[in-house]
Amino acid sequence: MSETTPPPPEEPTPQTSRIGVDSWVAESEARRARTPAALVGHGWQRTPDAIKLLAFVGVAASYPFWAANQGDLFIFGIGTLLYAALGMGLNVVVGFAGLLDLGYVAFYGIGAYTYAELSSPQYNLHWPAEATIPIAMAVAALVSLFLGYTSRRLLGDYLAIVTLFFGQAFTFFLNPANPKVAGKGLTGGADGLPNVDPIDLFGYKFTSIRQLYFLLLVVVALLAIAIHFANQSRVGRAWRALREDPLAAEVMSIPVNRLKILAFAFGAAVAALCGTIHVSISTAATPGDFDVSVLIIFYAIVILGGIGSVSGALVGAVIINCSLQFLEPQNDHPSVKRWLFYGTIVLLILSIKPVIRPVLVLAATIGFGFAVHAIVAATAGSAWTTGVPGASAFNPQASGGAVWINHWAIVPAVSHGNFNNCLYIGLVAAIIATGMLSGWWRLAALVPTLYLAVLAWENLLAQNGAITAYLLFGAMLVGLMARRPEGLFGSARVEIV
Amino acid sequence: MHLLLFTIIDNIRSIGWAGAFALLRDGIVLGALYSLVALGYTMVYGILQLLNFAHGDVFMVGAFMGIGVLTVVAGPFSSALPLVPLIIVLFAVSMLGSGVLGVVIERFAYRPLRNAPRIAPLISALGVVFILESSVQLLTNAGHFQYNEYPVFNRLFQPAVFNPWGQPINIADLLVVGTSIVLVLALMFLVNRTRLGKAMRATAFDREAASMMGVDTDRVIAATFFIGSALAGAAGVMYGLSLSDTWFLVGFLYGLKAFTAAVVGGIGSIQGAMLGGVLIGLVETFAGAYAGGNWKEIVVFGILILFLLFRPTGILGSHAIQKV
Amino acid sequence: MFRRVGALGVTGAAIAAVVAMTLSGTASARTTASASTSCNSPLTIGVAYPATGDAAGIGALQWDWANAAANAWNSSHSLKISLLPGDTHLGPGEQAQQVAQSFANNSSIVAVTGPAGSQEMQDTAAIWKAASLAPISGSETRVELTRSQGASKRQTTKGYFYRTVPNDGQQGGDDARYIYRKLHIKNVEVIDDQENYSIGLAGQVTSALKKFHVHVTRNSISQTDTNFSSVIDAIPSSTKLIYIPWQLANQAQQFYVQLHNKGKDIPLFGSDGTDDSSQFHGPGSYVSGFPFDPNNATVNAFANAHGGDTESFGIPTYTSVIANAQAIQAACHANHNSIGRNEVRLAIKHVHLTKAQSLLGFPVSFLAKNVGAFQGVGDMGGSAGFGIYQIQDDGSYKRVG
Repeated sequence: MSETTPPPPEEPTPQTSRIGVDSWVAESEARRARTPAALVGHGWQRTPDAIKLLAFVGVAASYPFWAANQGDLFIFGIGTLLYAALGMGLNVVVGFAGLLDLGYVAFYGIGAYTYAELSSPQYNLHWPAEATIPIAMAVAALVSLFLGYTSRRLLGDYLAIVTLFFGQAFTFFLNPANPKVAGKGLTGGADGLPNVDPIDLFGYKFTSIRQLYFLLLVVVALLAIAIHFANQSRVGRAWRALREDPLAAEVMSIPVNRLKILAFAFGAAVAALCGTIHVSISTAATPGDFDVSVLIIFYAIVILGGIGSVSGALVGAVIINCSLQFLEPQNDHPSVKRWLFYGTIVLLILSIKPVIRPVLVLAATIGFGFAVHAIVAATAGSAWTTGVPGASAFNPQASGGAVWINHWAIVPAVSHGNFNNCLYIGLVAAIIATGMLSGWWRLAALVPTLYLAVLAWENLLAQNGAITAYLLFGAMLVGLMARRPEGLFGSARVEIV
Repeated sequence: MHLLLFTIIDNIRSIGWAGAFALLRDGIVLGALYSLVALGYTMVYGILQLLNFAHGDVFMVGAFMGIGVLTVVAGPFSSALPLVPLIIVLFAVSMLGSGVLGVVIERFAYRPLRNAPRIAPLISALGVVFILESSVQLLTNAGHFQYNEYPVFNRLFQPAVFNPWGQPINIADLLVVGTSIVLVLALMFLVNRTRLGKAMRATAFDREAASMMGVDTDRVIAATFFIGSALAGAAGVMYGLSLSDTWFLVGFLYGLKAFTAAVVGGIGSIQGAMLGGVLIGLVETFAGAYAGGNWKEIVVFGILILFLLFRPTGILGSHAIQKV
Repeated sequence: MFRRVGALGVTGAAIAAVVAMTLSGTASARTTASASTSCNSPLTIGVAYPATGDAAGIGALQWDWANAAANAWNSSHSLKISLLPGDTHLGPGEQAQQVAQSFANNSSIVAVTGPAGSQEMQDTAAIWKAASLAPISGSETRVELTRSQGASKRQTTKGYFYRTVPNDGQQGGDDARYIYRKLHIKNVEVIDDQENYSIGLAGQVTSALKKFHVHVTRNSISQTDTNFSSVIDAIPSSTKLIYIPWQLANQAQQFYVQLHNKGKDIPLFGSDGTDDSSQFHGPGSYVSGFPFDPNNATVNAFANAHGGDTESFGIPTYTSVIANAQAIQAACHANHNSIGRNEVRLAIKHVHLTKAQSLLGFPVSFLAKNVGAFQGVGDMGGSAGFGIYQIQDDGSYKRVG
């Protein structure tokens, strides 16, 4: 027995190379660490989290003083903070515990409706917020406990289904089911519950937008701190183990089911908290606020920011909400939208290495555009090229903005019914073709694709802001999952197959 | 709650036997539609253990491809078109188109994530759903398009073929049920008697071992997506012919219910998808009539949740929850 | 450990600072009621409507007619108006609130047309009041917006809301009277589509019919439904008429087709939501809608410009824009060509449109006090009401009541 045990292996001395790592590979890591992006990333990682939070809180707290007006504060300030809080909550469920919760919106709704039931003329209860908010959070946590406990044996995708259907069932429960409790329909049906009281915390009423903004800021900051500490604790480590490999975690005697349920409940409580704040801002709980289309926004924030990263959720919320609002028709800033769009495309193209290639592609696209414009102007006449970009049947009074576009992109003066549709389908086909090719062919295919994208934007997408937003978020999810699943601030995970 | 019970008993009495037969007929027709879409879900899950949320939207695109053909071929009120060739063309175009769409989705949204954590393809699927729905919304301007605006289809409904107990059964009903049966039989033949079917079964059983045995798993997976999506496209056309109202959100709810059918019948099993489809179609129709139109969806979703909690393998299911 | 305490301390101090700022902040919504705009340049009317979302179809009709109104007004008056759209999405209350907030903050907007849904008005009433704007809506029909009803209080402030469309109480009463007195029907099924407008109107019609001792059965569908088999099969055999106060005319048409395909030839009665001859054209059905004159030149010109479709759902929006423009003009005359929002708001109650100007088939003026059981301050008075149409064999609408 002891004779047959092999001698312990030699410790590698510093002079010998490690097996499998040769000098070129070692140097390549050092090379990559010297690029500007890597240096920024390194600096970011070294900054203590407290400083990052402080910076964010500082900037956010100053925003009401340089926001253009109350409307902007509402749209950009409160909206962003609300989404940030929701994103952080979802991050705990999806990012830390690895559970795909597609019914998250239901908990948001449960919190909102519970608060509304207790603080509105519905049953004539007007309880103060220090009672109703904890109750709302408790109700949501209880429901999630029930949901989590009964589905504890289910794997990731089954859990996703159950939560998705739970979300749908909740929507249908609100309206049309609306069961009668104490003589009245519980959820108010299609009307929802109107005239909800503003938050009344220990006698202090939050009625103005500025007060609500600061309240939200406090909530977001406290959440960030709480999650940070939770992440560093035993529970956080257990969550991360659960996320990486549930089977191994169970073998290490981590109570997997209990942790799943705990994460679920935590996420639900956070969502309920946000729901109460949301409903006190909009003073009415309506069923339309809590359906599936809101879900994509939450997921876009979490995925873009990076699964498992708190700062990611904050940054993701800022980016997603601001993009969404800039695309909305009534916040019509055509030039901002345009620069956002072109800026994003250019940034994405520039991510191709080495840098000379994207520069070539961009130059070629510009040239291609002028060429096509000249050809079309010559053959099909000026009716095809003298439209005003940014104006449309939707908004004929819009002045359009950048006129230089007119010399480059094809914007018909009169809308030719199927032109937009053909453009769009052509763009989709071009993207597919670009994806299937590789090497120099791919770069070549990229040129007409980019041009088509610009045309589609000017003619079709820019006018339908809200739809474009969802389209882009969907595309972003697919693209991020394929290229960079860790998002902006997440850490890349290695899947052990 | 007892108020609901009274309503149900009331309705059962007032609807009577003739009405119940009508509900049976409608439930089976609806069930046939759900089965075809459920087959796509079940096949993809069997091979990749992936829930393809985007499948319902493939169904929607299939229905729209039919509309596209009709717009090109038929003027709005021309009834001089031959019915049977038109229907064949509709099926061919939309099955082909949807199949190609399914393959493209697989290639771009799921193939890069073959070895990624389980959560990644699900998120990607969510993204695809929004891409498809928003694209169709942009292209169709959120409008509703009707198959029955074309008078050539009137023959499908009037006059009825049979009329038992005063409840008409018309050609459209027979067409839907008949085509579903034919397609399912064809699928079962494909899976059980052909080489491709054998390769699909092998890949579903153990992908690595199958590829080691010389099966080109990428092509098999692409073929699975093609077939599943083609079936959804056929369902889309059948939906258009029988229920007519096509718009960009029609796929979402139908997809969810077809998905319920797949899970209830047993995900991974073809017979299960058929059984589940018919079952869910019947349940939805009867619940809608007896309990009231606003309870349809809750009953169906409730059934799904109950099955998932107490019998996740479904009625005929073959896949265990946990594969170590 | 020290890092932790340090981090805790620093962030705690930051939180304390923020809390202090919160308690000291008492900002209120900035209003621009007193800002003055000159009447010599085009004055802006904000138009809040659903440009996207499930109701985008009807929103587009409203926008089309609003543009027609602006063009018609500008071509015949020296005072010019321009329109600014706001997409309310007809869904989440927050979206309507964001639009309301944007309009309130936009000092060039002196009047508002819309929003489209009664729920949206409820959600935004406080914002409009704080901004001294009185929106004139072309489609909000809930009675509680201008009158209390039973336990429900009035949901807007008097003088801060007007509408150019008769409300549910009027429509429900008129339709019920026609069904009982003219059609002599004693057995009706009422099916709503579970949205605000429909449930409200269904409730009004049901109670009005019950007063005539008509037997009423109730059922529901949803706006996303395309398969009506369950509901159709559940219709009691004694039913002689089905009342469908739905918002989407194409659903009404599909219901008609499916009903007939199942062998049940029961006549349908739709409300103004289904009033669209290009979509709902099942012969033998009834529809209540705005009694506009189909031979009117403006209506014909509009139809010609829109492929033959009169898009009648949007006509009250036209009326609303013209009413706003008249109010603006009156305010300009009274205030030496320099006006603010409050002046426009106060001028609305004196607006009077002739039958030809309103396009609605009756002259328009706004009530100064409650009248009857359903009309209150903000509603149109006089002969405002709906017309009943029957769909002929060729799909055209013929006025019968």
